[in-house]
Amino acid sequence: MGKLESRNIEKYFKHDGKPLKTLDGIDLNVEDGEFVCIVGPSGCGKSTFLRITAGLEKPDGGEIFLDTKSVDTTGPNRIMVFQEGALFPWLNVRDNVEYGLKIAGIPVEERNKISNRYLDMMQLSQFATSYTYQLSTGMKQRVAIARALVMDPDVLLMDEPFAALDPQTRDLLLVEMQLIWQKTKKTIIFVTHNVSEAVMLGTRVLVFTHRPAKIKKEIKIDYRRPRVAEDENLLPYQQKILAELRPEVKK
Amino acid sequence: MKPNVLAKKIGFYALIVIAWQGLDSADIWPDNIFPSPFEVVEDLAYGVADASLFFGIGTSLLRLVIGLAIAIGGGLVLGIFMARVETVNQTIGSLVLGLQSIPSVAWVPLAILWFGLTDAGIIFVTAVGAIFAVTINTYTGVKNINPSYIEAARNMGAKEGQLVTSILIPAAFPYIISGFKQGWAFAWRGVIGAELLFSFLGLGFLLNVGRQLNDVSQVIAIMLVIMGIGIIAEGLIFKKIEDKVMKRWGLR
Repeated sequence: MGKLESRNIEKYFKHDGKPLKTLDGIDLNVEDGEFVCIVGPSGCGKSTFLRITAGLEKPDGGEIFLDTKSVDTTGPNRIMVFQEGALFPWLNVRDNVEYGLKIAGIPVEERNKISNRYLDMMQLSQFATSYTYQLSTGMKQRVAIARALVMDPDVLLMDEPFAALDPQTRDLLLVEMQLIWQKTKKTIIFVTHNVSEAVMLGTRVLVFTHRPAKIKKEIKIDYRRPRVAEDENLLPYQQKILAELRPEVKK
Repeated sequence: MKPNVLAKKIGFYALIVIAWQGLDSADIWPDNIFPSPFEVVEDLAYGVADASLFFGIGTSLLRLVIGLAIAIGGGLVLGIFMARVETVNQTIGSLVLGLQSIPSVAWVPLAILWFGLTDAGIIFVTAVGAIFAVTINTYTGVKNINPSYIEAARNMGAKEGQLVTSILIPAAFPYIISGFKQGWAFAWRGVIGAELLFSFLGLGFLLNVGRQLNDVSQVIAIMLVIMGIGIIAEGLIFKKIEDKVMKRWGLR
């Protein structure tokens, strides 16, 4: 058993009063320090799976195990980075990053010490006293990632965090994300609809089928880092994933 | 304020004073019914000289502040409960909507019966006049919070109590501040109305004295003071807070 295990996760949604099966038995075993990317057609339930892993939603069947213990509520050992960041506009960057530490009752000097490390890692130090309305979308996502990392979670869950970014900012963050992963050795599950993103980041890419979603294919990506978007050697991986994904998108 | 806007305002008010003085000079109505602006200013000067005006303002404002504090505290608690607990909303929520339609002076008879002719009665009328505006705005604000704020906070380990103080109130603050603003407006009307009907001391009482003495210029003078305090509170205090909040929350 790995760091995080999903055993036969099922989920139904109500659609016109009838239950609609969204997740059809997701079995997944994530090893400690893995970077797992999940791609799938839009609306297939990949984000729902991530939310269940975070404990933000209850599955209708199956269980999530963290370090062999069943988890069914949210906890700071599984921290989510949301698509739109979900930063708190009433707090400045530093206070956003320290939010979880403050809630946990950690004294201010220690909080500052921890947040300084991650503000520095995400190149946010000079923006520590800025408010979110003063930040670009890319900067906001950096803050969201820093806010998640200070919690030192066992598993980092990322729900299309770069979907709203312009291509240049995204490419930059995709490289940085790899460096952060190498530096922190975090276990990461990363949901995206962008295949090239998945190939750049993942040690393993899972392709979800159209609803009701199952894991259709698993592709290991054993290639040097940091990977860059324009590297032609990544193309065969992309093609392989797209070949699996295309029929699902058409459904 | 831009200089040309300020100039327009000064010009407008100067015109009103000139027109007023003109009407007075035309001698259409007797002076005890239609005083000149100078008589009103003179009356204000008397009030300042013997400090009775400041005493009246102080008394009214103290009642207002206590009443409003009760309304804000109660309204926040009630509004948050309504937004977070569906049963509370379905029961108390409907009652709140009904109670809000009662004008604050309509509470005066009940206040007299319950509290007698006391400060507590006036504070009651003030608080009850303002509390439902604060409640409804708080409720709306909490209902409109971006759900991912709450999810993110829970995910980082916030318990329900921490959620209220660290997320619900600050996230709903743009609504809550307009609740305070409305609450203030209702409270100010409430306190003056109640004082007019059953009080000694306070601006409402001074208005009533003016009426009893047939002193129209005192009545107008006090009305100007009531208006002035309203402008200061709404235009300066609340607008400043609101602007700051709206900017920070990225709403403007």
